[in-house]
Amino acid sequence: MNSFAERFSTTTAASHMRNAQKLAEEDDEFDGTMWGSSAGFGSIAKGVPSFTVPAVADPTAFLRLHTDDHADPSCRIKIQHGTTTLAFRFQGGVIVAVDSRATAGSYIASGTVKKVIEINPYLLGTMAGGAADCQYWETYLGMHCRLHELRNRERISVSAASKYLSNLVYSYKGMGLSMGTMICGWDKTGPAVFYVDSDGTRLKGDLFSVGSGSTFAYGVLDQGYRWDLTDEEAQELGRRSIYAAGHRDAFSGNSCNLYHVKEDGWKFIGNYDISKLHYDGPGNVPGSDGRPYGYDIRVEGLSSTNAPEVAAAA
Amino acid sequence: MSIMEYNGGSVVAMVGKDCVAIASDLRLGNQALGISSNFQKIFPVTDRIYLGLPGLATDVTTLRERFRFRVNMYTIKEEREIEPETFAHLVSSTLYEHRFGPYFIEPVIAGISKTPSGGVKPFIAATDLIGCLNFAKDFVVAGTASSKLFGVAEGLWEPDLEPEDLFETISQTLLNAVDRDAYSGWGGIVHVITKDKVVTRTLKGRMD
Amino acid sequence: METSFAITGKGYVIVAADTTAARSIVKMKVDEDKIKTLSPHLLMAYSGEPGDTVQFAEYVERNIRLYQIRNLYPLRPSAAASWIRRSLAESLRSRKPYSVNLLVGGYDTATHTPHLYWVDYFGTMTEVPFGAHGYGSYFALSLLDRYHNPEASLEEGLATLRRAIDEVSKRLVVSPGTYKVKVVDKDGVREVEL
Repeated sequence: MNSFAERFSTTTAASHMRNAQKLAEEDDEFDGTMWGSSAGFGSIAKGVPSFTVPAVADPTAFLRLHTDDHADPSCRIKIQHGTTTLAFRFQGGVIVAVDSRATAGSYIASGTVKKVIEINPYLLGTMAGGAADCQYWETYLGMHCRLHELRNRERISVSAASKYLSNLVYSYKGMGLSMGTMICGWDKTGPAVFYVDSDGTRLKGDLFSVGSGSTFAYGVLDQGYRWDLTDEEAQELGRRSIYAAGHRDAFSGNSCNLYHVKEDGWKFIGNYDISKLHYDGPGNVPGSDGRPYGYDIRVEGLSSTNAPEVAAAA
Repeated sequence: MSIMEYNGGSVVAMVGKDCVAIASDLRLGNQALGISSNFQKIFPVTDRIYLGLPGLATDVTTLRERFRFRVNMYTIKEEREIEPETFAHLVSSTLYEHRFGPYFIEPVIAGISKTPSGGVKPFIAATDLIGCLNFAKDFVVAGTASSKLFGVAEGLWEPDLEPEDLFETISQTLLNAVDRDAYSGWGGIVHVITKDKVVTRTLKGRMD
Repeated sequence: METSFAITGKGYVIVAADTTAARSIVKMKVDEDKIKTLSPHLLMAYSGEPGDTVQFAEYVERNIRLYQIRNLYPLRPSAAASWIRRSLAESLRSRKPYSVNLLVGGYDTATHTPHLYWVDYFGTMTEVPFGAHGYGSYFALSLLDRYHNPEASLEEGLATLRRAIDEVSKRLVVSPGTYKVKVVDKDGVREVEL
């Protein structure tokens, strides 16, 4: 009865997919000639890109059956999960730092993933959850930010951009999108960070971390965070926090990508090998004392033994 | 969640010319959370036999204690040291005793055995968690990175390596394999066993 | 959620455990002591399945005491921890296993060295410079990687512990409110205010 009702309802996930399918069919007539004209993002004129869906009664359930690796580790399709990303606002702008590991089950599929998506020279998005979902929708967001600029002769605010993304992913709620992202940038109001996820949550804030390693990053980040951090101190804190997560979390690591957003747009600060940070430190970079980050390296030679003075003398 | 992947960790052993090597990572985890970067999984059994125990960490310790006891009893009763082949069968039967409620360990054995003519013969073996013995002539692998270890070892190993070259081969195999495994790593340790000495070195591995 | 921490420093171990005893969504008690003194220089923080925790802790307490009475000297920390681990490992494959996680901290009077053992309900044991159980560990461990100093004085050690507890209170959704903190050093065991 339930599935019968769902087939004709207009509010369920399945009906969304039916609508999307209809759109896709309408798109067919453009296929040959129009291919590539909007880079796979569908016709912007129509407003929403369209997707092909599996020809089954309930496409959402079908997708979940084959991708949900928590319920079934042996499922066919594994979507990238583990990650650590962070972004925080401070006196000198916004720091964005991420790791670069992609895992499929316990296999480290890549150690060189770009988890910061450069939406435009003033906007950055971070990537956690489904890699493809984040990449696609944040690039798509970039196109709309550009359209906004052309229409209104001014740059879109971070707030508006993040709201656009939030509304967009919310319209796909329940259909298996998976993203936890921070939209960061500088607009008329100054530095701004917004957290947006595929549940439809959108939060304005000073400091966020997302992903399987986020708790470890928070542990270091919270303790070192102040609004009046200098640029150098802030960069060091971002780097140090990603290192902490890369070290403790099995699904984060390999390297840290660091960005700094200021009034004149974002700047890529550097890529740091997390194992190098552990053994040697970040090297001669601003904000660092040059010492290694690793606990074992830091405490080498130190001992908790407390031999009494007399015994030591004898 | 697999019980064999709960704590993570991997072991590999290789045969060389009149020598064998055994290596493991040093990670102890609680699934994704790393707890210790100094968790030994390889233990000396005699002067010429080493035993690697990757798998569930509680069983690593339990089996280590159990094998120490059984080898000591063997030594007292027989008034001689146990040979690698014999020890491999001891491992196998100890695991099969728990056929219907197994220890979640896949042991790897590496040693040098004496031949009747007075020479030495390198020996490696591995078993599954209920004691099915696998005597290999080249290398054996076990643990969460086993599939990756197979791939790298298959590419790097060659017959009749001298101890120094075998050390290099097994170290590279271990380090590169665990770098592709989320549950293994956090440093490594290698033992190269020759007829008159054992050389133990710790490896600086990736710490993420 | 139950959370416990322990850190070593110059000649001491600090063990801290939250003091809430919860059942379902209700806090039944807010000043429960979940750290047992096993011998003059040995502490054990326990957490896990209600019922199992106290039963197992008392079983350990009595057996460690029995050893001391029989032999006229107490077990050293490493030996005590090994015995406790084995009890848990044997229990794991029994009909009804104890689900108890432990932090065993002791001061070895023979070598003047503090020892801390992280033990989970499987019977996994490892010696660590600092350790934690419960969801708090996901915030505290990275923080302690950054701030822990094996040669810290007791005041510095307590300040580091304070940091860890504050961080967990700040970030953990269902964070415990109060902690009991005990120290073991050359003078034995004592409770301290944070």
